[in-house]
Amino acid sequence: MKLYRIMAVSRRVFQDVVNDKRTLAMLFIAPIFAMTVFGLAFSGDVEDVNVIIVNQDQGFAPPMGNTTYLSKTIISHLDTKVVNIKYMDNPTTARQEVVDGKAYALILFPENFTENAVLKSRNSSYPDSAEIMIQGDDSITNIKNAILKTVSDAVSETMTDEGISPSLKIISDPVYGEDAEFIDFFVPGILAFVVFLLTTLLTLITFVGERSNGTLERVLASPVTEGEIVAGYALTFGLLGMIQVAFLLLVAIVFFNIMIVGNVLLAFLTVALLALVSLSLGILLSSMAKRPEQAIQFIPFVVLPTFLLSGIFWPIQAIPQWLRPLSYLVPPTYAVDACRAVMLKGWGLDRIWPDILILLIFAVLFLAMATWSLKRGKK
Amino acid sequence: MELETEYAIQTSSLSKEFSGFKAVDNLNLSVKKGEIYGLLGPNGAGKTTLIKMLCSVITPSAGKAHILGKSIPDGNISSQIGYMPQETGVYLGLTVEQNLKFYGRIFGIENDEIMKREDKLLKFVDLVNWKHEMAENLSGGMKHRLSLACTLLHQPQLLFLDEPTVGVDPELRVSFWDYFQDILKQDTTILITTHYMDEARHCDRIGFMQHGHLIAEDSPRVLMEKSGKDSLEDAFLEFSNRDKSPAEKSQGGVSQ
Ligand SMILES: Nc1ncnc2c1ncn2[C@@H]1O[C@H](COP(=O)(O)OP(=O)(O)OP(=O)(O)O)[C@@H](O)[C@H]1O
Ligand SMILES: [Mg+2]
Repeated sequence: MKLYRIMAVSRRVFQDVVNDKRTLAMLFIAPIFAMTVFGLAFSGDVEDVNVIIVNQDQGFAPPMGNTTYLSKTIISHLDTKVVNIKYMDNPTTARQEVVDGKAYALILFPENFTENAVLKSRNSSYPDSAEIMIQGDDSITNIKNAILKTVSDAVSETMTDEGISPSLKIISDPVYGEDAEFIDFFVPGILAFVVFLLTTLLTLITFVGERSNGTLERVLASPVTEGEIVAGYALTFGLLGMIQVAFLLLVAIVFFNIMIVGNVLLAFLTVALLALVSLSLGILLSSMAKRPEQAIQFIPFVVLPTFLLSGIFWPIQAIPQWLRPLSYLVPPTYAVDACRAVMLKGWGLDRIWPDILILLIFAVLFLAMATWSLKRGKK
Repeated sequence: MELETEYAIQTSSLSKEFSGFKAVDNLNLSVKKGEIYGLLGPNGAGKTTLIKMLCSVITPSAGKAHILGKSIPDGNISSQIGYMPQETGVYLGLTVEQNLKFYGRIFGIENDEIMKREDKLLKFVDLVNWKHEMAENLSGGMKHRLSLACTLLHQPQLLFLDEPTVGVDPELRVSFWDYFQDILKQDTTILITTHYMDEARHCDRIGFMQHGHLIAEDSPRVLMEKSGKDSLEDAFLEFSNRDKSPAEKSQGGVSQ
């Protein structure tokens, strides 16, 4: 490998993109377009959200009869399709689980929950002090809403069952994502999605062109090696990916007023890695097409799995369970997850490294396969 | 094997199969250094396939080849050869100048040097006024001229030119051939394919190729003498007929 040859290839690819105003426009306008259109339109049903219940309710013991526990009735009414419940005793350790991302929310019933509720129902001048505390990861808006809805449904069902009408308060105390809106949740996803999609398609189409107009052959007849070609493309598209991210974030901050709490440089790193995976995929696919028109036919196979499975527009929790394993085979899944954790939760490399590592493995694997496919093409 | 040899190209039983079909079939070719060798033959004869193998763009299915004394593909001679593909092999999304620069840089030529050579070559292929034009806006013949300039920029010792004059107007074609004669004097070797018989006359030697192998090979004059014909077209037809099995004799012909 010679650096000057890699640089020559990289520069050539860059000039090619920059010279073509249409491609350039697509690289920067498509993301904004996608952000605007999809950002307004999406929501999904949420299932299997991990929550932790800490029930400190001491119940209410009337002078005669058994002690009643209103909390237990409410818990029995929680929709277990939506939430996976785990019980814990210590609110501090439970909260830590949410902080660590092992659960999305902590639902806390305080000691005198039933007592306060019963007293209130007997005497309307009694203060509204029967409270359920929800401390959640609110950065993912539709999950937050799903948890809130499930709890309030359970509460109203309980009240109908028991024939009492205490005013129960649900207090939400977010761990992450205070004030997060759907657009905040959505932007990290769109970042990964557009970079993945555009990089894959652009390499696919340019490479099919290189194969059919003789330029690839001319370059292969020169001292430039297959590895140097792939490296040259990688350099340019990695860089372009980062420029796209910078531009998209700028627009998102200025016009959509999105929230970023973490270190954006980590988002850049993530997306650059994803770009490497994408361009390799483009080169691999290009070996299966003889003409650019044939390459176009691959688009659905690239777009659909990513679109549906990688958690871009709705969280993976909203994907049917049997499909979920496939999500983990789609590289953008990890980029979406990492970008979201960085931008909404402010997580650092110490927390997102598993995502980065997997992306890195994907990138190395795919780059090697792309190089191999170029070598095999000589056969 | 690394011998100081008088041959620029030497192949022995070189073959290329595409899923069972033999595009190049047990071909033995020797081209001396400083020679201009013309490969002639109908469409699909295997000329392009042969050249691609000699440039290490595709790997042979069988047989051996030595280029400039070194066996390919491991010979490491790629910086000494220039390949002009049949498809123009220029980047349509780059300007004329950007194309030339790229093909200079990948050979590690310094920028100043590239600029000097670029100016000369642009004059030669008559594209000076098109320097900053996108290659996609050039006419077909101009693209071929640019392609030739890109091939010559790193001043290779051995040139593989696959139909370099297609679509180039007569006046420029004459100047192309003058240029070829010129660089031959500087010990360059050229392997060229063409369908223009009037051009083929300029070659030191000609190989008639059909169905993946050479059916005759000699200087244009000797080929015409041997076949008893007075044009290269007729000479080719004559050799082609001699080569064919009786069953095939009813069909066939040369293009152009
Ligand atoms: N990649 C390939 N896969 C399958 N067949 C191929 C491939 N490349 C060439 N061929 C076949 O090999 C034969 C020789 O093709 P080649 O391009 O070498 O011919 P040619 O002599 O250069 O013809 P022309 O004068 O038209 O350029 C043709 O029959 C062609 O169909
Ligand atoms: Mg050909």
